Amino acid sequence: MSADTDPGALGRLGSRLWFYSNYHCNLQCSYCLTESAPGVARRQLTADQIRDAARDGRELGFDSFGITGGEPFLHDELIEIVADLAAQAPTLILSNATVFTPARLRRMEAWAGLPVEIQISLDHPEPDVNDEMRGPGNFRKVVEAIPRLIDLGIGVRIATTLEDPENADPDEMDRLCALHRSLGVPDSHHVVRPIIHRGRAVGNTLGRDVVFDDFEPELTLTADGAFATPFGPTVRGGRLDTDLLVTRATAPLSVPVAALMRAAGEAPAGDDARTGIR
Amino acid sequence: MSSIVAPVAPDQAPLLARPYYANGAPGPIAGTMAHVPELLDVAMPFIGAALGPGAVSARLKEIAVLRASALLECDYCVRSHTVVALDEGLVHAEVRALRDSGPAEDAFTVDRERALVAWVDELATGRGAVDPVVEARMAEHFAAAEIVELTLVTTTTMMLNRYCTALGLPVSATVAERLSAEGLA
Repeated sequence: MSADTDPGALGRLGSRLWFYSNYHCNLQCSYCLTESAPGVARRQLTADQIRDAARDGRELGFDSFGITGGEPFLHDELIEIVADLAAQAPTLILSNATVFTPARLRRMEAWAGLPVEIQISLDHPEPDVNDEMRGPGNFRKVVEAIPRLIDLGIGVRIATTLEDPENADPDEMDRLCALHRSLGVPDSHHVVRPIIHRGRAVGNTLGRDVVFDDFEPELTLTADGAFATPFGPTVRGGRLDTDLLVTRATAPLSVPVAALMRAAGEAPAGDDARTGIR
Repeated sequence: MSSIVAPVAPDQAPLLARPYYANGAPGPIAGTMAHVPELLDVAMPFIGAALGPGAVSARLKEIAVLRASALLECDYCVRSHTVVALDEGLVHAEVRALRDSGPAEDAFTVDRERALVAWVDELATGRGAVDPVVEARMAEHFAAAEIVELTLVTTTTMMLNRYCTALGLPVSATVAERLSAEGLA
């Protein structure tokens, strides 16, 4: 059976195909992997690039899509792109949830009935502590946005990023979980993960070191090439890291898929990954 | 001359390039190709197969490599392969003749080596079809498979000549020291 038709052809690769839709962001978080900020180069994938890769991805056996950045909702065509992708497979968007204006929320009504989820960053139950890392006003905007998204029928997940998750204050975690439950997000949709020592976290001496074997290989397309994980295309001092680069070519998708399968074949199995970063 | 592209540093080596960094930073050809790992991944094995051990002797291959590099004026390749040619047993007079842009055949006494030099001169400086006289001499001294291998050695070298020259790749300190010691800097 050819790789074009075999749904198991991805082997050990994660079955979600990721896109870095853009690198710019309205925030400037202290641990941002990509040094994203309002003034950085956008380095956007075009809508056609994403649609073509998604179509090829489905043929190659990918069963879901992920979009991250930067802040994906700053991509002018993001809402239309997501509608196209979600019509093919479940689609997850990672967002800071601070740009949901009434006009944008109205446009997102076009997603009704589609399998779209948004994973929102929320790090602490106290607004001032949360906003230390993520910027002023972040907490308020997030807690306002979540019920609105749920009202639109959009699935909401919460991602909490901590310096030392294993030793997080239990009381703080209890209050954070109570908060997300009160906003309509169940425990099953809350993930706690460590800060990765890449990107802006390096300059701020935050996070833990990771290597390729720590990650489940998940093909991630960017304007600069294909990477082995969404944690790969990081930026430090304005320079793109290439240690987790797979190929510069992103189309046809079979090129980076084959290359990543080769690279992953020499790595430990995904369920042996040391830090279980997802 | 400065390099327009810096080699990829070992801590930034892409996944497919990592085998080339197993013993630290590779040479500048692999180090720069690592910017496009999917090309490195196929180019270096091909280059290694073409220029490395094969059915024809290493001495013949180095005659072809050094002569083509001299005619295409690739400083990196000439200097690097002068060292390799000496290691393969070429004498100084042969090396100097190959590095000179003038006629080189007279430095060689074996007919098939003289035919090879003429063949490489045609490939590296000619345009269009090969001179029938040069072609006949090559056919007289080499089998078909040998002609193919030596032609690939020469043309692969020509590709590298332009690659290394365009990117301004520097020779290693080790090569520079050896050339000085040999009086061939």
